[in-house]
Amino acid sequence: MRGMTGMEIDISGAFDPAGPDDDAQGQVPTERTAGATLLEVDDLAVEFRSDDGAVRAVDGLSYRVEAGRTLALVGESGCGKSVSSLAVMGLLPPTARVVRGSARYRGTDLLALSPAKHRAHAGTHVAMVFQDALAALNPVHTVGYQLTEALRARSGLSRREARRRAIELLDLVKVPNAAGRVDEYPHQFSGGMRQRVMIASALALDPDVLIADEPTTALDVTVQAQVLRLLAEIQAERQMGLVLITHDLGVVAGVADDVTVMYAGRAVEHAPVRDLYAAPAHPYTRALLRSVPRLDAGADGDRLPVVPGRPPVPGRVPSGCPFHPRCDMARDVCRTDVPPLADAAPERSSACFFAAELLGGARA
Amino acid sequence: MGRYILRRSLLGVATLLLVMFVLHLLTTFAIQINGNPALAFFGERVPTAAQLAAVETRFGLDDPCYDQTGNPCLGPFVERLGAYAQGDFGTNLRGREVTDIVATAAPNTLKLFLVVTIVWFLLGMGLGTVAARWRGRSADHGIRLTSVLIDAFPIFVLLLVYRYVFAVPLNAWATETFGADSLPALWFRPSFDDDHSWATLLVPGILLGLAGSAAFIRLVRASQLESYAGDHVRTARSRGLHERHVVLHHVMRNSAVPVVTAVGLTFTEALAGAVITEGMMNIYGMGGVLWEAVRGTDVALVLGVVTILAAVTVAVMLVVDIAYAALDPRIRYA
Repeated sequence: MRGMTGMEIDISGAFDPAGPDDDAQGQVPTERTAGATLLEVDDLAVEFRSDDGAVRAVDGLSYRVEAGRTLALVGESGCGKSVSSLAVMGLLPPTARVVRGSARYRGTDLLALSPAKHRAHAGTHVAMVFQDALAALNPVHTVGYQLTEALRARSGLSRREARRRAIELLDLVKVPNAAGRVDEYPHQFSGGMRQRVMIASALALDPDVLIADEPTTALDVTVQAQVLRLLAEIQAERQMGLVLITHDLGVVAGVADDVTVMYAGRAVEHAPVRDLYAAPAHPYTRALLRSVPRLDAGADGDRLPVVPGRPPVPGRVPSGCPFHPRCDMARDVCRTDVPPLADAAPERSSACFFAAELLGGARA
Repeated sequence: MGRYILRRSLLGVATLLLVMFVLHLLTTFAIQINGNPALAFFGERVPTAAQLAAVETRFGLDDPCYDQTGNPCLGPFVERLGAYAQGDFGTNLRGREVTDIVATAAPNTLKLFLVVTIVWFLLGMGLGTVAARWRGRSADHGIRLTSVLIDAFPIFVLLLVYRYVFAVPLNAWATETFGADSLPALWFRPSFDDDHSWATLLVPGILLGLAGSAAFIRLVRASQLESYAGDHVRTARSRGLHERHVVLHHVMRNSAVPVVTAVGLTFTEALAGAVITEGMMNIYGMGGVLWEAVRGTDVALVLGVVTILAAVTVAVMLVVDIAYAALDPRIRYA
């Protein structure tokens, strides 16, 4: 496993967050001590209105984002990982609402604020990188405009100064010929470059926390690696807290410090990344890990194992442990009782009745 | 961008030529089937053969092809194109230059158009934006109902009701309250007055604008709803931008392309409406002139006015096409 220390940290763009014109008002002091808790989501539950009544998309999710650390939220599509981050940002669609829980940013519960204040506060300190940069960037505005839009709206930056900052941001994310490309439009960029622009626009306000929602899913594999490396570098340089939302455990291994595995709207396992890979404490995690292709195994043409079955449709979650119909260790108790997320070992927790067994089995 | 404009301009010229040719064919067939329009010059009198021949020569109706049903009469068409190219649009039956008639009539139509455009643009953008912003709320339902109601009253019904039910009592009330020459009295005058063109155009213009706004309101609403659903709006919101800023720069700005398309379509609709409005409200404008020309079988005048109106429409469409490119970089660089 590649640790972050092995990576070159070279932020060539001379971005100076404390520059003389950095007068973004109302910002919480931005000193970030490594390990300090920046964002704490506690017991979050989100419901969608549907024709069949309310549907729980996220149910009792908790996680903590610390300065200088990367948390990966992992799960299949529809497990609630994106919805939970939209809830934190105040961007839930009108059909969804938060029914329970809190999201504290440096002590302020964002979910208790009015919608407008929530969005303004979250938008200033927590930034999001979206999956499909072509759709997520506005096609009719230049890249330069979009990079500094939020800055200008807050601080009344002059057009010229804004352009200079936009070029700095493009340099920061290593877009070649930044000065020449700042006046171009998103559709003139390649997929990887576009995602870099997306990241740069998220960094414009020097956020404390960056939530990257499947940032590399739409990209080629080689470009994926570059973009991930860039994210990791910037995160380490700025001591930001990074939340990486992904369905790909392969992506997680190189970048994350901690992993929260989600299934059917709940966290089913939480662990430091090394421990999780060494010994998963939940059958779902184990199944996911087995389905990651490996170079050192299966040379004899074995098929790649997949997690059998499908994730439950929200609103039709099975009784008991939601994973039991797909689980190869399910017993009677799994069909009737919901296993709580409980400590399984130091620093890690699992929502499986047989977590100890799983961990013990791995050690044996 | 230059090549794009050039291509569009050439397309516009071709469209105009096609329109003129179709118009020519229609009038030619009308003459061949209905008989000699030169007779209209004489009204009730019966001309001698020499008189008729002289008039036919004067209006370019002496070509034998007009007697052969089905003959497209290409000769006179080419002749007319040549004359138009030199700025000669011929004369009406009373010998007045068509260009002269248009020069006095067009300003009133332009004034009417200005009022119409301001009304429907403000109504459409305003109500459409409000309906999209508060989708599914009572404001949205109210606005959509209003737009359907407007559609249920076509412009001629609106004008008839206004002119014969409201205009006289309103005018009487305004005359009594503010005096005969006061502005309100002029507003509600049931017919056009060349000395007070703005004041007497106002109400017909507002009614025509209202009639045109209905479809425009729905289009603005629909295109903005599409923008609201876009990922880029979510991105803008995620940056903590004020909702007003998001609506202005990411919703309204992005729905500008369909809106500009609608401007072109509504323009032609308003042109058709102007003919009716001017005819019904006795406004001396392009529509009024055309209305009279058709009723009086004044071929040269009909052809001249319709050609000019077609040229204006083609020009507006060209402006719309160029506006597309200015508004959407993906078209500009395609």
